Amino acid sequence: MFTERFLRDKRGASLDANERARIEAAISEVKTFGPRKIIARAGEPLTNSTLLLEGIMSRYLDDRNGLRQLVAIHFPGDFLDLHAFPLKVLDHDVATLTTATVATVPHAEIEAIAEEMPQLIRKLWFATLLDAAIHRAWLFRLGRLDATGRVAHFLCETNARLFSAGLSDGRRFALALTQADLAEICGLTTVHVNRVMRQLREEQLCLFRSSLVEILDPAGLAARAQFNPAYLYIADDSQLPSVQRPR
Amino acid sequence: MMRDATDQIQPETRPGIATAEGGLVFLDGPDGVAATMTPEAAAETGQSLIDAAATAERQQAERDV
Repeated sequence: MFTERFLRDKRGASLDANERARIEAAISEVKTFGPRKIIARAGEPLTNSTLLLEGIMSRYLDDRNGLRQLVAIHFPGDFLDLHAFPLKVLDHDVATLTTATVATVPHAEIEAIAEEMPQLIRKLWFATLLDAAIHRAWLFRLGRLDATGRVAHFLCETNARLFSAGLSDGRRFALALTQADLAEICGLTTVHVNRVMRQLREEQLCLFRSSLVEILDPAGLAARAQFNPAYLYIADDSQLPSVQRPR
Repeated sequence: MMRDATDQIQPETRPGIATAEGGLVFLDGPDGVAATMTPEAAAETGQSLIDAAATAERQQAERDV
């Protein structure tokens, strides 16, 4: 089944069997791309959307010097360019970070789903709103947190997203990203990320080596990150570390 | 409750912390500041901050007269 992770464990938006079957039927093709391959470029007309099945992908913008800011990271279960259905073109590139397998859903099929199953379209809309919520958290991360807080926030968020997708036990998960990727996510240099990872290790908050992350002190890491997973709309986030922000 | 807008535009009163490691300078904080600089860029930035701070202090003194 291709859709088992899509909207898995999301509050009020998980798919029922009929909805899942309809999306499965809408898939026209399953493809695997090698790592670091661009699969959609900004400004190109798009007629399909992409459900990520395996691997990690990114959305990014490059500055005039060619330096990159990753503006989103996608994990298995993410319908990563569903917003291209109404927009028809993207304002950023989409690329694989690791080897990635994707399912292609033609926009004509999404149009048909809109006619047949309006409740399912609301759930697809939920998925794009979830993307927007994550973008808001990324703005907070870059605007308000220092270097350690930024990396800690990304690791807390990734743990929560993968937990929701069934790919983290709540403390340990595979993450095949480089320190350069983390730098482009967190707006830091690679050496700064290296230093932050050492600090997190020395403070016994988190270990990241051999593409495995182990959160040693979930509450401590969440506090360092000012992380609250409410924006991820996970049905049961009670196992995830969280902090309360002042109101 | 949303904070009063004037709270949001107060200047930072806590200094950033600069440290050196591996031949580079790391500036962490306050808040969203995180930069890695060569020693030359860090020294130039530091001098620029000191000069600007002196100018700002003169401006405050003139305003308080």
